Amino acid sequence: MDASRGSDGPLPPLWHYGETEHDPISTKTLGFWLYMLSDALIFAGLFAAYGVLDQTMNAAGGPTAAQIMHPVAAFWQTIAVLSSVLSYSLATVALKTGNRNGVLLGIVVAILFGGIFIALEFTDFASLFAIGATPDRSGFLSAFFILVATHGLHMMFGILWMLVLILQILRSGFNTAVVTRLLNLRLFWQFQASVWVCVYVFVYLRGTFQ
Amino acid sequence: MTDPHHPEPDPLAHAEVRQAGWIGYVSGYILTVGLLGVALLLTETKGLDAQALLITLSGLSIFLLIAQSMLFFGLDVTRYNIWKSVSLVLTVPLFILSIGLTVWMFHSLNGLMMMPEMPGMPMQPTLLQ
Repeated sequence: MDASRGSDGPLPPLWHYGETEHDPISTKTLGFWLYMLSDALIFAGLFAAYGVLDQTMNAAGGPTAAQIMHPVAAFWQTIAVLSSVLSYSLATVALKTGNRNGVLLGIVVAILFGGIFIALEFTDFASLFAIGATPDRSGFLSAFFILVATHGLHMMFGILWMLVLILQILRSGFNTAVVTRLLNLRLFWQFQASVWVCVYVFVYLRGTFQ
Repeated sequence: MTDPHHPEPDPLAHAEVRQAGWIGYVSGYILTVGLLGVALLLTETKGLDAQALLITLSGLSIFLLIAQSMLFFGLDVTRYNIWKSVSLVLTVPLFILSIGLTVWMFHSLNGLMMMPEMPGMPMQPTLLQ
Protein backbone atom coordinates (compact mmCIF):
# COMPACT_ATOMS: atom_id res chain seq x y z
CA MET A 1 0.00 0.00 0.00
CA ASP A 2 1.33 3.38 -0.95
CA ALA A 3 1.29 5.41 2.26
CA SER A 4 2.20 8.61 0.43
CA ARG A 5 -1.07 8.72 -1.52
CA GLY A 6 -2.82 12.07 -1.51
CA SER A 7 -5.88 12.89 0.59
CA ASP A 8 -8.24 12.20 -2.34
CA GLY A 9 -7.07 8.57 -2.66
CA PRO A 10 -8.34 5.71 -0.52
CA LEU A 11 -7.04 5.69 3.04
CA PRO A 12 -4.42 3.02 3.78
CA PRO A 13 -5.82 0.21 5.94
CA LEU A 14 -4.81 0.09 9.60
CA TRP A 15 -3.56 -3.46 9.16
CA HIS A 16 -3.32 -6.03 6.42
CA TYR A 17 -5.35 -9.19 6.65
CA GLY A 18 -3.44 -12.29 5.70
CA GLU A 19 0.24 -12.61 4.94
CA THR A 20 2.48 -9.70 4.11
CA GLU A 21 5.81 -10.45 2.48
CA HIS A 22 8.76 -8.67 4.00
CA ASP A 23 11.08 -6.80 1.69
CA PRO A 24 14.20 -8.99 1.36
CA ILE A 25 16.28 -6.24 -0.27
CA SER A 26 15.56 -3.33 2.08
CA THR A 27 16.05 -5.37 5.24
CA LYS A 28 19.54 -6.34 4.07
CA THR A 29 20.58 -2.90 2.83
CA LEU A 30 19.46 -1.38 6.14
CA GLY A 31 21.46 -4.01 8.03
CA PHE A 32 24.48 -3.30 5.87
CA TRP A 33 24.01 0.44 6.40
CA LEU A 34 24.08 -0.09 10.18
CA TYR A 35 27.32 -2.09 9.79
CA MET A 36 28.77 0.82 7.82
CA LEU A 37 27.89 3.31 10.56
CA SER A 38 29.80 1.12 13.01
CA ASP A 39 32.65 0.96 10.49
CA ALA A 40 32.57 4.77 10.36
CA LEU A 41 33.01 4.77 14.15
CA ILE A 42 36.17 2.67 13.72
CA PHE A 43 37.46 5.46 11.50
CA ALA A 44 36.31 8.04 14.09
CA GLY A 45 38.49 6.27 16.68
CA LEU A 46 41.45 6.21 14.30
CA PHE A 47 41.00 9.90 13.42
CA ALA A 48 40.82 10.74 17.14
CA ALA A 49 44.10 8.87 17.76
CA TYR A 50 45.68 10.56 14.75
CA GLY A 51 44.50 14.01 15.93
CA VAL A 52 46.20 13.42 19.29
CA LEU A 53 49.40 11.76 18.03
CA ASP A 54 50.05 14.21 15.19
CA GLN A 55 52.51 16.21 17.32
CA THR A 56 56.24 16.89 17.34
CA MET A 57 56.60 15.05 20.67
CA ASN A 58 54.87 11.95 19.28
CA ALA A 59 57.06 12.10 16.18
CA ALA A 60 59.83 11.13 18.65
CA GLY A 61 62.58 12.80 16.65
CA GLY A 62 61.40 11.11 13.46
CA PRO A 63 59.66 12.72 10.51
CA THR A 64 56.66 14.97 11.18
CA ALA A 65 53.50 15.26 9.10
CA ALA A 66 54.84 18.31 7.26
CA GLN A 67 57.86 16.28 6.12
CA ILE A 68 56.06 13.22 4.77
CA MET A 69 52.76 14.55 3.32
CA HIS A 70 52.63 15.19 -0.41
CA PRO A 71 49.09 16.47 -1.04
CA VAL A 72 49.62 17.01 -4.77
CA ALA A 73 50.68 13.37 -5.20
CA ALA A 74 47.79 12.26 -2.98
CA PHE A 75 45.38 14.19 -5.20
CA TRP A 76 45.93 11.51 -7.86
CA GLN A 77 44.64 9.03 -5.29
CA THR A 78 41.60 11.31 -4.82
CA ILE A 79 40.88 11.17 -8.55
CA ALA A 80 41.43 7.37 -8.63
CA VAL A 81 39.10 6.58 -5.72
CA LEU A 82 36.39 8.97 -6.93
CA SER A 83 36.59 7.63 -10.50
CA SER A 84 36.24 4.11 -9.15
CA VAL A 85 33.19 5.11 -7.10
CA LEU A 86 31.65 6.92 -10.08
CA SER A 87 32.22 3.92 -12.35
CA TYR A 88 30.64 1.49 -9.89
CA SER A 89 27.73 3.87 -9.29
CA LEU A 90 27.13 4.13 -13.04
CA ALA A 91 27.15 0.32 -13.17
CA THR A 92 24.12 0.41 -10.87
CA VAL A 93 22.44 2.87 -13.27
CA ALA A 94 22.88 0.21 -15.97
CA LEU A 95 21.41 -2.30 -13.51
CA LYS A 96 18.06 -0.46 -13.69
CA THR A 97 17.55 -1.70 -17.25
CA GLY A 98 19.10 -5.10 -16.56
CA ASN A 99 21.98 -4.19 -18.89
CA ARG A 100 24.43 -6.95 -17.95
CA ASN A 101 27.31 -5.75 -20.11
CA GLY A 102 26.90 -2.21 -18.78
CA VAL A 103 27.02 -3.44 -15.19
CA LEU A 104 30.07 -5.63 -15.87
CA LEU A 105 31.87 -2.79 -17.69
CA GLY A 106 31.22 -0.38 -14.80
CA ILE A 107 32.52 -2.91 -12.26
CA VAL A 108 35.66 -3.71 -14.31
CA VAL A 109 36.52 0.01 -14.69
CA ALA A 110 35.87 0.45 -10.95
CA ILE A 111 38.31 -2.39 -10.24
CA LEU A 112 40.93 -0.77 -12.50
CA PHE A 113 40.68 2.63 -10.77
CA GLY A 114 40.63 0.92 -7.36
CA GLY A 115 43.79 -0.95 -8.37
CA ILE A 116 45.42 2.34 -9.42
CA PHE A 117 44.52 3.81 -6.02
CA ILE A 118 46.09 0.89 -4.17
CA ALA A 119 49.20 0.97 -6.40
CA LEU A 120 49.64 4.71 -5.65
CA GLU A 121 49.23 4.02 -1.93
CA PHE A 122 51.81 1.23 -2.00
CA THR A 123 54.23 3.51 -3.88
CA ASP A 124 53.72 6.21 -1.24
CA PHE A 125 54.28 3.70 1.58
CA ALA A 126 57.39 2.28 -0.14
CA SER A 127 58.94 5.76 -0.46
CA LEU A 128 58.24 6.39 3.24
CA PHE A 129 59.77 3.04 4.23
CA ALA A 130 62.82 3.90 2.12
CA ILE A 131 63.54 6.97 4.27
CA GLY A 132 63.04 5.00 7.49
CA ALA A 133 59.50 6.28 8.15
CA THR A 134 58.05 2.93 9.23
CA PRO A 135 55.03 2.42 11.52
CA ASP A 136 57.29 1.43 14.44
CA ARG A 137 59.37 4.63 14.18
CA SER A 138 57.01 6.79 16.26
CA GLY A 139 53.50 7.06 17.68
CA PHE A 140 52.66 9.59 15.00
CA LEU A 141 53.73 7.23 12.19
CA SER A 142 51.84 4.31 13.79
CA ALA A 143 48.65 6.37 13.82
CA PHE A 144 49.26 7.61 10.27
CA PHE A 145 49.90 4.17 8.77
CA ILE A 146 47.02 2.48 10.60
CA LEU A 147 44.54 5.18 9.57
CA VAL A 148 45.57 5.27 5.90
CA ALA A 149 46.11 1.52 5.61
CA THR A 150 42.68 0.78 7.17
CA HIS A 151 41.12 2.75 4.33
CA GLY A 152 43.41 0.93 1.83
CA LEU A 153 42.35 -2.42 3.29
CA HIS A 154 38.70 -1.46 2.77
CA MET A 155 39.55 -0.69 -0.86
CA MET A 156 41.16 -4.13 -1.27
CA PHE A 157 38.17 -5.93 0.21
CA GLY A 158 35.87 -3.91 -2.04
CA ILE A 159 37.84 -5.03 -5.10
CA LEU A 160 37.71 -8.65 -3.93
CA TRP A 161 33.93 -8.27 -3.45
CA MET A 162 33.62 -6.89 -7.02
CA LEU A 163 35.54 -9.84 -8.45
CA VAL A 164 33.23 -12.26 -6.62
CA LEU A 165 30.15 -10.35 -7.82
CA ILE A 166 31.32 -10.50 -11.45
CA LEU A 167 31.37 -14.30 -11.15
CA GLN A 168 27.95 -14.32 -9.48
CA ILE A 169 26.43 -12.08 -12.18
CA LEU A 170 27.82 -14.36 -14.89
CA ARG A 171 26.55 -17.47 -13.08
CA SER A 172 23.16 -16.38 -11.69
CA GLY A 173 22.18 -13.15 -13.45
CA PHE A 174 20.31 -10.42 -11.59
CA ASN A 175 18.36 -12.43 -9.04
CA THR A 176 17.32 -10.95 -5.68
CA ALA A 177 20.46 -12.10 -3.85
CA VAL A 178 22.87 -10.74 -6.46
CA VAL A 179 20.99 -7.43 -6.78
CA THR A 180 21.05 -7.03 -2.98
CA ARG A 181 24.81 -7.59 -2.94
CA LEU A 182 25.27 -5.09 -5.77
CA LEU A 183 23.32 -2.49 -3.75
CA ASN A 184 25.28 -3.22 -0.57
CA LEU A 185 28.57 -2.93 -2.43
CA ARG A 186 27.42 0.42 -3.81
CA LEU A 187 26.92 1.64 -0.22
CA PHE A 188 30.32 0.23 0.77
CA TRP A 189 32.14 1.71 -2.22
CA GLN A 190 30.57 5.17 -1.95
CA PHE A 191 31.44 5.11 1.76
CA GLN A 192 35.13 4.79 0.78
CA ALA A 193 34.82 8.11 -1.08
CA SER A 194 33.43 9.78 2.07
CA VAL A 195 36.23 8.37 4.22
CA TRP A 196 38.80 9.51 1.66
CA VAL A 197 37.46 13.10 1.85
CA CYS A 198 38.29 13.06 5.57
CA VAL A 199 41.67 11.33 5.07
CA TYR A 200 42.71 13.73 2.31
CA VAL A 201 41.65 16.90 4.14
CA PHE A 202 42.64 16.05 7.72
CA VAL A 203 45.76 13.96 7.03
CA TYR A 204 47.31 15.01 3.72
CA LEU A 205 46.24 18.68 3.51
CA ARG A 206 46.36 19.51 7.22
CA GLY A 207 49.74 17.82 7.52
CA THR A 208 51.34 20.48 5.36
CA PHE A 209 50.28 23.67 7.16
CA GLN A 210 50.34 23.13 10.91
CA MET B 1 13.96 -21.51 -3.47
CA THR B 2 11.07 -20.12 -5.51
CA ASP B 3 7.58 -20.58 -4.15
CA PRO B 4 5.18 -21.03 -7.12
CA HIS B 5 2.31 -19.47 -5.11
CA HIS B 6 4.32 -16.34 -4.27
CA PRO B 7 6.42 -15.46 -7.31
CA GLU B 8 9.49 -13.45 -6.36
CA PRO B 9 9.01 -9.75 -7.19
CA ASP B 10 11.35 -8.43 -9.86
CA PRO B 11 14.44 -7.23 -7.94
CA LEU B 12 15.19 -4.64 -10.63
CA ALA B 13 11.86 -2.95 -9.85
CA HIS B 14 12.93 -2.34 -6.25
CA ALA B 15 13.03 1.31 -5.19
CA GLU B 16 16.71 1.11 -4.19
CA VAL B 17 17.61 -0.07 -7.70
CA ARG B 18 15.39 2.62 -9.25
CA GLN B 19 16.98 5.40 -7.19
CA ALA B 20 20.26 5.17 -9.16
CA GLY B 21 20.71 8.15 -11.47
CA TRP B 22 23.74 9.27 -13.43
CA ILE B 23 23.06 12.99 -12.89
CA GLY B 24 23.44 12.68 -9.12
CA TYR B 25 26.51 10.44 -9.37
CA VAL B 26 28.30 12.64 -11.91
CA SER B 27 27.43 15.77 -9.87
CA GLY B 28 28.80 14.10 -6.74
CA TYR B 29 32.00 13.22 -8.59
CA ILE B 30 32.53 16.72 -10.04
CA LEU B 31 31.68 18.37 -6.71
CA THR B 32 34.05 16.16 -4.70
CA VAL B 33 37.02 16.29 -7.07
CA GLY B 34 36.45 20.01 -7.73
CA LEU B 35 36.16 21.08 -4.08
CA LEU B 36 39.08 18.89 -2.98
CA GLY B 37 41.04 20.57 -5.81
CA VAL B 38 40.05 23.96 -4.38
CA ALA B 39 41.13 22.75 -0.93
CA LEU B 40 44.48 21.68 -2.39
CA LEU B 41 44.96 25.09 -4.06
CA LEU B 42 44.07 26.92 -0.83
CA THR B 43 46.62 24.81 1.05
CA GLU B 44 49.39 25.13 -1.54
CA THR B 45 49.06 28.89 -2.10
CA LYS B 46 49.22 29.50 1.69
CA GLY B 47 46.93 32.53 1.35
CA LEU B 48 45.23 31.87 4.70
CA ASP B 49 46.73 31.45 8.15
CA ALA B 50 46.68 27.98 9.68
CA GLN B 51 43.55 28.44 11.79
CA ALA B 52 41.49 30.09 9.05
CA LEU B 53 42.58 27.35 6.65
CA LEU B 54 41.63 24.59 9.11
CA ILE B 55 38.17 26.14 9.63
CA THR B 56 37.68 26.59 5.87
CA LEU B 57 38.75 23.02 5.08
CA SER B 58 36.59 21.58 7.88
CA GLY B 59 33.55 23.45 6.59
CA LEU B 60 34.31 22.30 3.07
CA SER B 61 34.61 18.64 4.05
CA ILE B 62 31.38 18.75 6.10
CA PHE B 63 29.63 20.26 3.06
CA LEU B 64 31.09 17.50 0.85
CA LEU B 65 29.99 14.74 3.23
CA ILE B 66 26.43 16.10 3.31
CA ALA B 67 26.44 16.46 -0.49
CA GLN B 68 27.70 12.88 -0.88
CA SER B 69 25.04 11.55 1.50
CA MET B 70 22.39 12.94 -0.83
CA LEU B 71 24.01 12.60 -4.28
CA PHE B 72 25.76 9.23 -3.77
CA PHE B 73 23.84 7.45 -1.01
CA GLY B 74 20.54 9.03 -2.06
CA LEU B 75 19.51 9.62 1.56
CA ASP B 76 16.09 11.20 1.92
CA VAL B 77 12.90 10.70 3.91
CA THR B 78 11.10 8.27 1.59
CA ARG B 79 10.07 5.01 3.22
CA TYR B 80 13.02 3.15 1.66
CA ASN B 81 15.64 5.54 3.00
CA ILE B 82 14.17 7.16 6.10
CA TRP B 83 15.78 4.71 8.53
CA LYS B 84 19.17 5.11 6.88
CA SER B 85 18.82 8.89 7.31
CA VAL B 86 17.61 8.62 10.91
CA SER B 87 20.36 6.17 11.94
CA LEU B 88 23.00 8.43 10.36
CA VAL B 89 21.68 11.50 12.19
CA LEU B 90 21.66 9.54 15.46
CA THR B 91 25.27 8.42 14.86
CA VAL B 92 26.62 11.93 14.20
CA PRO B 93 26.81 12.76 17.96
CA LEU B 94 29.01 9.67 18.40
CA PHE B 95 31.46 11.00 15.79
CA ILE B 96 31.55 14.40 17.48
CA LEU B 97 31.97 12.90 20.95
CA SER B 98 34.63 10.36 20.03
CA ILE B 99 36.84 12.72 18.02
CA GLY B 100 36.05 16.04 19.72
CA LEU B 101 36.26 14.85 23.33
CA THR B 102 39.46 12.87 22.70
CA VAL B 103 41.24 15.84 21.15
CA TRP B 104 39.92 18.17 23.86
CA MET B 105 41.01 15.85 26.70
CA PHE B 106 44.50 15.42 25.34
CA HIS B 107 44.74 19.13 24.61
CA SER B 108 44.06 19.92 28.28
CA LEU B 109 46.43 17.13 29.38
CA ASN B 110 49.09 18.73 27.23
CA GLY B 111 48.65 22.01 29.11
CA LEU B 112 48.56 20.29 32.52
CA MET B 113 51.43 17.89 32.13
CA MET B 114 53.98 19.44 29.80
CA MET B 115 56.80 21.69 30.94
CA PRO B 116 56.75 25.26 29.63
CA GLU B 117 58.42 25.64 26.30
CA MET B 118 62.23 25.75 26.54
CA PRO B 119 64.36 27.93 24.34
CA GLY B 120 65.56 25.92 21.38
CA MET B 121 62.90 23.25 21.96
CA PRO B 122 59.91 24.37 19.90
CA MET B 123 56.67 22.59 20.66
CA GLN B 124 54.09 22.01 18.00
CA PRO B 125 50.62 23.31 18.94
CA THR B 126 47.91 20.71 19.54
CA LEU B 127 44.91 20.51 17.24
CA LEU B 128 42.97 23.03 19.33
CA GLN B 129 45.69 25.71 19.43
